[in-house]
Amino acid sequence: MSGFFQVPWSDYRPDLTAALGRTVSYTVVSFAGAVVLGLAVALLRLSRVWPARALAAVYTEVFKNVPLLAIIFLSYFGLASAGIRLDVFTAGCLSLVVFYAAYLSEIFRSAISGVHAGQTEAGEALGLGRAGIFGHVVLPQAVRLALAGTNTMLVDLLKSTSLLVTISAAELMSEGRLITSATFRALEVYLVISAVYFVLCYPLSQLLLLLERKVRAGVPLSPWRRRRIRAARALLAAEPAAGPGAGTDRKEAAV
Amino acid sequence: MTEPATTTAGTRTTSPSPADAVVRIRGLRKAFDGRTVLDDVNLEVARGSIVSVIGQSGGGKTTLMRCVNLLESPDAGTVEVAGEVVHQDGRRVCRDLPRLRRTVGMVFQRFNLFPHLTAVENVVLAQRTAGVPEQEALERAVTLLRRVGVAHRALAQPEQLSGGEQQRVAIARALALRPEVLLFDEPTSSLDPEATREVLSVMRELAADGMTMLLVTHELPFAREVSDHVVFVDRGRIVEAGSPRDVLDNPAQARTREFLAAYGSAS
Repeated sequence: MSGFFQVPWSDYRPDLTAALGRTVSYTVVSFAGAVVLGLAVALLRLSRVWPARALAAVYTEVFKNVPLLAIIFLSYFGLASAGIRLDVFTAGCLSLVVFYAAYLSEIFRSAISGVHAGQTEAGEALGLGRAGIFGHVVLPQAVRLALAGTNTMLVDLLKSTSLLVTISAAELMSEGRLITSATFRALEVYLVISAVYFVLCYPLSQLLLLLERKVRAGVPLSPWRRRRIRAARALLAAEPAAGPGAGTDRKEAAV
Repeated sequence: MTEPATTTAGTRTTSPSPADAVVRIRGLRKAFDGRTVLDDVNLEVARGSIVSVIGQSGGGKTTLMRCVNLLESPDAGTVEVAGEVVHQDGRRVCRDLPRLRRTVGMVFQRFNLFPHLTAVENVVLAQRTAGVPEQEALERAVTLLRRVGVAHRALAQPEQLSGGEQQRVAIARALALRPEVLLFDEPTSSLDPEATREVLSVMRELAADGMTMLLVTHELPFAREVSDHVVFVDRGRIVEAGSPRDVLDNPAQARTREFLAAYGSAS
């Protein structure tokens, strides 16, 4: 047993910690960018203007059908040879953003069009403007529908940051390669690196599943919704003012 | 066409003055893909009165109602709401569509509650976007939910509510912006008899309070009971209009008699 672990791991701890931090940074920045771009592409895809729809469709199909590794090489080596020199972090994030935005836009598009047309109509009939309908009615329901697919993409993106080893992004995988070339203990090193990825991804996906379940159950997650529901509960607990319709009502029961 | 008459629904009286019509439709025409759904329709809903539109499914009743709050755009004719022309000759004249929709409340056949919000939040939402302060909006929502008898379910999600409860929340939601007229699009058509009774009893109370209502319905006994005016629409045209007694009990037109006989309520 003791013979297996021969790499001096405690010496590498600071480097590994820094690499782990970089993996997390790549994931957070790229995912945020991919969500924003993906939503924009999804909205273009649902636009009434056909050139906008066509543009979005071309974007989605191109980046869905090109390997991520090719996109990484193009944005780091390819652009550099055309005079656009991006640093490793920018090139890495750019690649992940454009690649995952294509997938996310598909998820977002089907989620947005999956919200029942009657919902938009109810919003219109209540005098919510276009922005109000999108922000208060369509988007929150689309988020519910998109959550499962989006969460899968987040975990997938985290794992895909390992491809950035090819441009020496100094994230976990790159660090693993460095330790391997110093120690020649490939099996041990890559098992440990894999374990680190697992320890990152597994709790993350479990946490996201929990979030999905809460959202589906209608648990109010935002502070303003919680405040509103608390205030409503207080009002409901108060004696109703005597009125013509008050007689038919029972006392509020816990839901 | 006869003017709306005083009803049996209480102390409410209706003004015969045409100037006090909340909804006035003249020469309305609407086609979908070349198929005419409404043709030369005239309709007036006086303030405080209840007008029921009856007729076969697919006859244009719902489209007629949706032309009032401009969920549909008429191809021709004039739509006037609360004394203001909102649509004329196939063009929208009304600049402020949200304001028109706050003047006209609507209750749908399939409820269309927002499933991601609790019942009380459903009633609060439009008030907030219309600029009503938070606490005031909440108080009004709770009052309305009490009024329609679902306050004990105020914190439930729509999917946890029965059909009757959902429709009553939808009525509270439509009332929240103090509309001048309420549109009901077959409000009990997807409900069982028990839930239908609950919803009709809420509507009866609204009627007694003097709410102006335009109602598309298959509940002929209810239409007879609460309406000041009944309009029979068939194949996009108004075949007959008048007091419930005239239209439902002594129809002048053969087509009306045929329709009522098919519904088994001509007697």
